[in-house]
Amino acid sequence: MSCQRLKNWFNERYDFEGLRSFSRHKLVPVHKYGILYYTGGLTLFLFALQFITGMVLAFYYVPFYEQAHKSIIEIVTKLNMGWFFRSVHHWGAQLAIGVLFVHVFGTLLVKAYRKPREIIWITGFILLAISIFFGLSGYFLLWDERAFAAVRVATGGAGNLPVIGGFIKSFLRGGIDVTGETLVRFYAFHVCVLPLFTIFLIGLHVLLVQYHGMSVPVSVEKDIKKHEPFFPNVLYKDFIIWLIALVVVVTISVLFPPEIGKKADPLAAPPENIKPEWYFLFLFQTLKLFPGDIMGLNGEMIAIILISIAILFFLLIPFFDRKSARGEKSPVFTWIGIFYTAYFVIMTVIGFLT
Amino acid sequence: MKNVLMLAIKTINNVIKCLMISMPLLFLNVMAVGAEEKIEVFPQAPYDRFIIYQALIIFWIGIIGLIVILKMKLKELERIQDMGIDREEKDIPFLD
Repeated sequence: MSCQRLKNWFNERYDFEGLRSFSRHKLVPVHKYGILYYTGGLTLFLFALQFITGMVLAFYYVPFYEQAHKSIIEIVTKLNMGWFFRSVHHWGAQLAIGVLFVHVFGTLLVKAYRKPREIIWITGFILLAISIFFGLSGYFLLWDERAFAAVRVATGGAGNLPVIGGFIKSFLRGGIDVTGETLVRFYAFHVCVLPLFTIFLIGLHVLLVQYHGMSVPVSVEKDIKKHEPFFPNVLYKDFIIWLIALVVVVTISVLFPPEIGKKADPLAAPPENIKPEWYFLFLFQTLKLFPGDIMGLNGEMIAIILISIAILFFLLIPFFDRKSARGEKSPVFTWIGIFYTAYFVIMTVIGFLT
Repeated sequence: MKNVLMLAIKTINNVIKCLMISMPLLFLNVMAVGAEEKIEVFPQAPYDRFIIYQALIIFWIGIIGLIVILKMKLKELERIQDMGIDREEKDIPFLD
């Protein structure tokens, strides 16, 4: 079947002309914050990379506590290119979460969440939460002593939430403590539950972005003079950025393959100077700020409640920022955005250096 | 009694000797276990390493080439768009 005949075959059955017309007429405004438009596409690309490398690793990983650690060693040492796929999966995850944070904080600072894009913001926020849980569950699959201790601390922290904390903790752990049951549960989350939610939410997120069009910051709204077509101009630029990201991930993966720690022993004491993954460091540092006892109450519980309130406020920002919704400048929320971004960056750096 | 005492001293002596011999062995064994913990996460053979670094350089060249092609294509597109010859005219007559 020739290419033209194949095209005709599809065109007779599906409305490709409508799709072509839509892509031809989709325009992207050109302004000084335009670089932020590419962070979403880059995150999507890195997620796709994670899906591909994750699928390859899932063929050989054994999600059983006695074999999990050994299976990773075998992937890295015995399989052809196994070390490479594991390394790309590891560094791709770090970069994906990093770019996702840039995307979220960029959206916050230029107030792209404002009316009518509240649901885009909410789906993006849920995707961020899912990505962090992806990171935690993937880290635990290593079944080494550091990952074991990190999950014990993280699930224990969630258990400090009043009313629902106990339920969340036992639901995540699959029991009272972190055991082999937790490994099976985290594996199910990592390869089945979270990917399904991610695909659905990414689909909804991208669909809504297409429906509403690209958001323009209030400060530059009046100065927009030029638009460029999404297809092919912006798509080509997207491709260039994706290729750069790919070469960065591959190079880091080859030069700095991640280490494998000692096999986890549930009965052993946690290793000293344990630190969580970098995207948890701001929470880790915040918890350190609180004393163990505040006026007779559990300090950690108070910290968790305050952090939860801050995160809830972050999620509901589009509904509080009424001025932006009316298309007016709202400096208060700009400062709130700067505060959130600066707090995250500073606490992460302090956590990394101490 | 004297014999029993002598036997006890001899036994203790033997135990100490055994410990003195086994302690360095035990220590060496612990060191060996410690050395085993370091898992090689990257191929160690020089030939494998050479192939990997060579492949990385070829990958870099390929990606740079692709970026250059995309850049050239983009530049050409922008030139055509600036000239305005990419726009479809209304009521354009069909040639066939």
